[in-house]
Amino acid sequence: MRFTVSLQESYSRVELLLRTFFGWLYMALPHGFLLMFVGIWSGILTFVAFWVVLFTGRYPQSMYEFQVGFARWGLRLRARLMNLSDGYPAFGINPVDENVVLELPYPEKQSRALLLLRLFFGWLYVGIPHGFLLFFRAIATWVIMFIAWWIVLFTGKYPESFHEFVTGFLRWSTRVNLYLLFLTDDYPPFTGKETEK
Amino acid sequence: MMDDNSPYLPLPQPDDIPVREKEDAMGAYLMMFAGVAIAIPLPLLNLVASFVYLYLNRQKSRFVHFHALQALYSQIPVTILNMVLLAWLIVCLVNDFTFPATFKGYAIMVALVNLVDIVFSLIAAAKARKGLMYYYVFFGRLSYHQAFSKNTGPEKAPVNSPPSF
Repeated sequence: MRFTVSLQESYSRVELLLRTFFGWLYMALPHGFLLMFVGIWSGILTFVAFWVVLFTGRYPQSMYEFQVGFARWGLRLRARLMNLSDGYPAFGINPVDENVVLELPYPEKQSRALLLLRLFFGWLYVGIPHGFLLFFRAIATWVIMFIAWWIVLFTGKYPESFHEFVTGFLRWSTRVNLYLLFLTDDYPPFTGKETEK
Repeated sequence: MMDDNSPYLPLPQPDDIPVREKEDAMGAYLMMFAGVAIAIPLPLLNLVASFVYLYLNRQKSRFVHFHALQALYSQIPVTILNMVLLAWLIVCLVNDFTFPATFKGYAIMVALVNLVDIVFSLIAAAKARKGLMYYYVFFGRLSYHQAFSKNTGPEKAPVNSPPSF
């Protein structure tokens, strides 16, 4: 999996303030409303795909692409709400965002044993260790976001290391989600850094 | 063999159908588990899911269109039976939990219909995954007519033509 959020040369302070005070209204609300329905559909497809993978060892490609598109949509929105990127996120599962990129190659075959293992023990060997660490990472991310907010407001620049740290949190949590949703067989690493070139 | 005057298009053979289309066709029948998937056992949900699936996939190919249509049509009578059962159940619960024998008979009948529906849907899903056509009684013919008629489907007969010289 590859997930990147481009660091812009400069960030708009007007957009920053708009997002901070009205982002919930003009961004989170309309996207959240639609994502809720798409999320229900995604849940249905996940359930269906689980059984298909169990019997055939292959995730139906159309369903897979839908799930990845759904993840991309959510990440586009979160990247904006976390002030990692300017601009308004596109609606839908198909649009391509040049600032927020998620690439997940389609696996021709998936392990049925891992599928069952995740279903029954995913909470144990993924949820608990990653959840525990992500909890503290989330707190640190909030602190970094708060500091970065002021820096962007006064300088119009997002410090690169801060940007990478916040992006890393998104990357880490996305890897865990994708693994638990049976979209990849690769166990998520305990890092927010990019592991694939 | 199908002659050129047939109102229907030739059927695709398993080897000609991409795996992706076979999987899409298979998925149509599995929408009957939509209610279970999101843990809301409302009969109408499966029908809505089948409809959404048809809407999203009908343009992909006639093979997918046929299976999605058949899956949707087969859901309609089952959904009606289930909804009546649910309504009747609510009435019984409201009336001091009294369940008349007719209700019990109806409930058993609906359970059997659902069982048959599940079995046939799984058979149809497996056939679709292999790229095979599988016809339900009545609904199979109706879906075939709608999906493979020369005047319907994604590649309709051309409407525009060049000017006559």
